[in-house]
Amino acid sequence: MSLYQQTAAPDVARYRRPASEVMRLARMGCGHPTRLSFLRVLLRRLASDDWQMDRPVWNVDAKGVGHAVYRVKGAERTYSLVAFAHDLPPEMRSDRVIATAWDATFTLFDGDPTPEDIARLADNVPLQEAGRISIRELTLARANRSVRLFAHVSDALAAGHQPDPEEIAKVGYLMRTTAVYGSGKFGAADRDDIAARPELTAPFQVEMLTVWLIRAFTVDLVEHMAAVKGGAQAVTLDPRIRRSLGVGNSTGLGMAPFIVRHPVLLNNWMMAREEALARVRAQTGADAAAVARLQEVVDAAIHNAEAWRSEHPVQVPKLRDLRDDLDLLKQTFATWDFSRPHPWDALWTWGEDALTLEGQEALVSLMLEPHGALIDDLADRMCADEAASFRLDGAMTVGALRDVLEEAYAWALAIDFTTPANTARFWYVSEEKLEPRLGDRLTEDGATLEQPLCIARLVRELYDTVQDLDAATAVASLLLAHPEHRYAVRRVQITRDHPFAEVQDNLIAADMLPIDLLRCKLAFFGASQFDPRSDRWVRINLFQGAPYPDDIKAEASR
Amino acid sequence: MTTVPHDQTRGDSTPFFQDAKPAPLSRNEVAALCMKAARGAGMSWGMAEEAGFAAAWLATHGIDGPAHLAAHLTQAQNRAWSELCPNITAGDWSAADGGSLCPIVLGATLCDHARLSDGPLAGCSITLGTVDYPILLLPFLAEIARINNVLIAVTGAKGTACIDASDSWMQTATEVLSDEAADLTLTARDGALKNPPPQVARHTKTSADTIAALNAFAMRTTVPASEQSRAGAGSAFSDND
Repeated sequence: MSLYQQTAAPDVARYRRPASEVMRLARMGCGHPTRLSFLRVLLRRLASDDWQMDRPVWNVDAKGVGHAVYRVKGAERTYSLVAFAHDLPPEMRSDRVIATAWDATFTLFDGDPTPEDIARLADNVPLQEAGRISIRELTLARANRSVRLFAHVSDALAAGHQPDPEEIAKVGYLMRTTAVYGSGKFGAADRDDIAARPELTAPFQVEMLTVWLIRAFTVDLVEHMAAVKGGAQAVTLDPRIRRSLGVGNSTGLGMAPFIVRHPVLLNNWMMAREEALARVRAQTGADAAAVARLQEVVDAAIHNAEAWRSEHPVQVPKLRDLRDDLDLLKQTFATWDFSRPHPWDALWTWGEDALTLEGQEALVSLMLEPHGALIDDLADRMCADEAASFRLDGAMTVGALRDVLEEAYAWALAIDFTTPANTARFWYVSEEKLEPRLGDRLTEDGATLEQPLCIARLVRELYDTVQDLDAATAVASLLLAHPEHRYAVRRVQITRDHPFAEVQDNLIAADMLPIDLLRCKLAFFGASQFDPRSDRWVRINLFQGAPYPDDIKAEASR
Repeated sequence: MTTVPHDQTRGDSTPFFQDAKPAPLSRNEVAALCMKAARGAGMSWGMAEEAGFAAAWLATHGIDGPAHLAAHLTQAQNRAWSELCPNITAGDWSAADGGSLCPIVLGATLCDHARLSDGPLAGCSITLGTVDYPILLLPFLAEIARINNVLIAVTGAKGTACIDASDSWMQTATEVLSDEAADLTLTARDGALKNPPPQVARHTKTSADTIAALNAFAMRTTVPASEQSRAGAGSAFSDND
């Protein structure tokens, strides 16, 4: 059953944005984190439920080499981040998946690790892809230092003073993760094994927990190194500076195919967010607390946009748009008549005319923020049982299939694939590194080994085939005669029940920007300060401004 | 291309398994590897997904699906679709030329026809003819039993495999369907399937040799690197900052 059916209230349905608007790449590439983002879901749970956090092991030497354990303990289960700190020569430091050594490596252990577990993990986790983990582990991750900032902070603390806030602001993190693997990768527990646990039902909760605990490790490590160097004169980080540090993350093309390969999951993420926006818009009035909170969150958004750095030619004008729009939003909020009927919908409708795509999507995030009680339950619907939608319906008629194609895939059928610019690229997997890459069809070999990621073209080919078939023909017969369309037929049947399953753009067009796919996914993670380093490679910051394990409880009780 | 031992720069740890030693894969790894291998061996993307499903289902139930799939792909490669797919007539689905059917293609096609009059409905009796590695059919038969609320019996020279309400059907079916090929007939009757419990631990003993064989097929879906592709993959700026 789709989410909309479950919550079908006619007064909310009117306020929903259509998939044809939401699922365009240009808009997805302007996504902002919201309170439904996965790291926010995690932090809410850890703050509100009966979870205790500690650091039972800190075994790191004067060179910064060793291991530590960070533990999160609930009523029923315990999760432990096992962190290995290494001494990495600078020439080996790379963020690419193809790196071979890192400043630190991590795994999230399912329970309390024994010394034997730690020994086994020490033999495997530092090797990353060349090692194996087991069903007892939930993630595998690694991180590199921001060399400049780590050294600056460590030197300052060792000398007895705080680091320069300007230097902190330039980078925003002490380490950045370059991969966080879950879902059965390298032998880890499968998603199915853990998805029924309430604390892990929402997507990417083990990955988010891993990164949150890594953040605590990064500040502990820099303070440890400062203490080693400075001895008695060393100081610890000022709580405000500590709070402003997140964990960086470098991500490339490898992440881009994910949202194309997981259509039901993408649908559920999008629908939850869109349902949340519709619920906020559907309110007949506005309460004073929500209006006051809106003023606070726009100030925070302005602060974030000011701190957000990027030199990339695509991102620079987008940042300018965002800053201008946020200023306009602040002025507008201050004078907006919230006593009028449906004030939130009126605000949204105004924004659609007055703001750029960056500003509109920022407004989604701002409008959701004061409405936790109204929308936070939607986080429970962002997971997906993908196995349930795997089996094809062979009894569907070709006529019904054609109807879905013409309605739900009109956007795809409108693309002219005989125009070279519309087939300029191809997605493939590199033999050398087994990572997804994007090739140029004219100048590079390998297009015969294209991955099935351009759904629009696969659907076009399917449509061409079914045009001449009798409408009463069963899809089962179509598939027996045309096994090459099985993949596309599955997509179409999924889309029939999941209207937000497809990115409604040509993913092999000459002007397609992979970073738009990345930004959409990363915004759902909760990433801020999206900084493209090329058209297919980005850096972001996670958990900046969020509490740490040692202060999340104090915060929740305030 | 050769794989350097302990090359950490490739997103795959399975080449580091050696010889016939057991290699405990996650379900996700089984499904992903087997899907890629099936594609590399010539299946369409959608059918390759069915191969991944079947192998992972078997592995979840303690049967070495990857090994059966690897053996099947090795012998079936280069055979034309028309030789592998069923020729569907009333009560007879055997291959057009009397050859042997691909269990993945047959299983997926049976599922496609689950609710159609010529399909595996209650009361049907369908001659399947020779089916290669028939154990790979089992996941699909369990799917049909679930979708159609039927109990299924598949009869061959070694006896009858009943997908039914008994506690031991997995074990019997595994024995009956474990040959490299079998001449089979399928019948179905109304009834509620008893699902065998999936295994929590990873008891399936897929060997490193099996993984190497599947990896060899999977590598056929990949593209050799060029300077151009390497150049575009990373950051345009230094990472060492």
